[in-house]
Amino acid sequence: MTDAAPADLVRRSLARRYAAEQRFRRLGLAAVAVGIAFVAVLLVSIVGKGYSAFVQTQIALDIEFDRSVIDPDASGDPEVIARGDFGRLYKDALKARFEGVTGRSQVRQLYGIVSSGSPYRLRDMVLEDPALIGTRQRVWLIADDEVDMLVKGYISRDVPESERRVSDEVIGWVDELAADDAVRKAFNWTFLTAGDSREPEQAGIGGAVMGSLYTLLVTLVLSFPAGVAAAIYLEEFAPKNAFTDMIEVNINNLAAVPSIVFGLLGLAVFLNFFGMPRSAPVVGGLVLTLMTLPTVIIASRAALKSVPPSIRQAALGIGASRVQTVFHHVLPQAMPGMMTGTIIGMAQALGETAPLLMIGMVAFIVEIPGGPFDPATVLPVQIFLWADSPERAFLERSSAAIMVLLAFLVAMNALAVVLRKRFEKRW
Amino acid sequence: MIDTHTNAIGDVAALPRGFIELGRATAERHDDAPEETVGDVTVAEPRMSARGVFVHYGDKRAIDNVSLDIGRNEVLAMIGPSGCGKSTFLRCLNRMNDTIENCRVNGDISLDGEDIYHRSMDVVLLRARVGMVFQKPNPFPKSIYDNIAYGPRIHGLAANRAELDAIVETALVKAGLWDEVKDRLAEPGTGLSGGQQQRLCIARTIAVSPEVILMDEPCSALDPIATARIEELIDELRQNFTIAIVTHSMQQAARVSQRTAYFHLGRLVEVGSTEDIFTNPRHRLTEDYITGRFG
Repeated sequence: MTDAAPADLVRRSLARRYAAEQRFRRLGLAAVAVGIAFVAVLLVSIVGKGYSAFVQTQIALDIEFDRSVIDPDASGDPEVIARGDFGRLYKDALKARFEGVTGRSQVRQLYGIVSSGSPYRLRDMVLEDPALIGTRQRVWLIADDEVDMLVKGYISRDVPESERRVSDEVIGWVDELAADDAVRKAFNWTFLTAGDSREPEQAGIGGAVMGSLYTLLVTLVLSFPAGVAAAIYLEEFAPKNAFTDMIEVNINNLAAVPSIVFGLLGLAVFLNFFGMPRSAPVVGGLVLTLMTLPTVIIASRAALKSVPPSIRQAALGIGASRVQTVFHHVLPQAMPGMMTGTIIGMAQALGETAPLLMIGMVAFIVEIPGGPFDPATVLPVQIFLWADSPERAFLERSSAAIMVLLAFLVAMNALAVVLRKRFEKRW
Repeated sequence: MIDTHTNAIGDVAALPRGFIELGRATAERHDDAPEETVGDVTVAEPRMSARGVFVHYGDKRAIDNVSLDIGRNEVLAMIGPSGCGKSTFLRCLNRMNDTIENCRVNGDISLDGEDIYHRSMDVVLLRARVGMVFQKPNPFPKSIYDNIAYGPRIHGLAANRAELDAIVETALVKAGLWDEVKDRLAEPGTGLSGGQQQRLCIARTIAVSPEVILMDEPCSALDPIATARIEELIDELRQNFTIAIVTHSMQQAARVSQRTAYFHLGRLVEVGSTEDIFTNPRHRLTEDYITGRFG
């Protein structure tokens, strides 16, 4: 100890202490910066690959809605109309546009520049408005996925033809159409509304989104009441003995179990034993409930613990029974925390793929599910399936689907934060 | 041993010291505290009576063979150094000790002659008949109206909304809070000041029309003016209710009560009329406490 005054000693140590704090703060900021940088790289790469999926190339053709092809007897019967050969219509239009094209393979290439789903589009147009029969209309048809890739610039023209997916002739035709203003890029509604398809230009996340929604709905309806009730029982009513301790340990462990194990459980119990419909959101929801239940229970218990005991004492002192104390006083206070925990659990469940693979939601589902019992797939699985596909167009679509999934997750977490803030203010 | 020191102010409770003393060997306690309570523990026609009450928290004995009566329409003050068991004893009277994990209560406690620890006594009904006001005001996080109305609602004391309104108004009037809150009954109870909150809690308790009101240091968290108002209130409430109040302020006990009981390390040392206790205490411990030799 020196003879210096205490204040001087303190002053001397200040520099060292502040320096340490500065170092710590800089490290923290650096860590945050690195984290943000990684997130930025991730987002930029995904958005960069996926944003183009939200537009789709369309080709305008002058379609002759020939009565002899659609409805020869002029019956006006929708069934007859529906059976018409609409493929003929657009093929004739293409042939009329590019008269010099001969030879089977060339002609087939020509027909291939619009989507193979064009006949259905034309049929739906006519069914909606039968007055079109006999008229000549300029119709915008969705281009084939390879033409789409070409127009968006993903297929390089400089590469020799044998290394390209599109031949020189196709490029020539597309350029001709473009010069005539018959090529445009329009918003890709198909992506948002259609179900899955082998053809990328007809594929959409509509089915996967509905499947995810139904699955999440089932999960929410099952896991929230069960989780909250379990938390209330464990926190308020269960006697403190070894049995309760065992339950608690098991719940905490279940929260760490790999999710695919729940998928196996679902396969063995729900599908094999109970014989529930395979690939249905109801089974997916049950499996995800098992998975999110520990999260909901743990979050709910924390929320219940945070209610000050003075509230319980006041309620008991006034003559409320234990059940009344919990449901009239403790639960309303704990509800914001419970809801936040549940929303976070739901956001986790939204992104789960492995357990759902086991119960069959990996199948190729084309129709958009109408309810929780129809076969469906979920968004992460859809991304997984598309990522496997070789077509270039599926790369941009899977990136776009990832963007949609991330948007949902961010929205759900934001909702959780907003709800928590709002309820915290009231109390 | 007990730390003796003169305390000119005479009123400061030494919280940690009391708890340490409670944990010490009981041999010391027997030397000082009397085997039998000095003074008359009984009253004619008691509202509540306790005989041979022992309370243990795990292995620690908190209440040691206490017998005490509480008379009708009287205010009984329970005083003593911190950790002497007054709050524990108070909580026995409405079975709030049931909510504490390893608390064991032995002995006979009865309300109007009925044993409250008997199997046939419904604890919910007991707590409706024996109300409690806590040390720190704890209004429900609901509106002022709902705070008061909750008790009558769950006990079915009002047949319709009009009756409930009347009960709420009466309770607030009796608690001396009506004029201050009558225009803002829908506002949250937690938005009131400390003194108002405590009066709200008292109103909440009396809305259920209990027979006995237990008050556990109700003014310790309040400023002197709020304290004075609540002491006035206690005096008014005495006409309709029996009140047992735990207080660490001897002046408050002297102002507010008719009978006073002095507790020391879990034993009831002396009990008697307030005037006698404060002017002419018979046991040495009582005298030491009252004169401020320890506290």
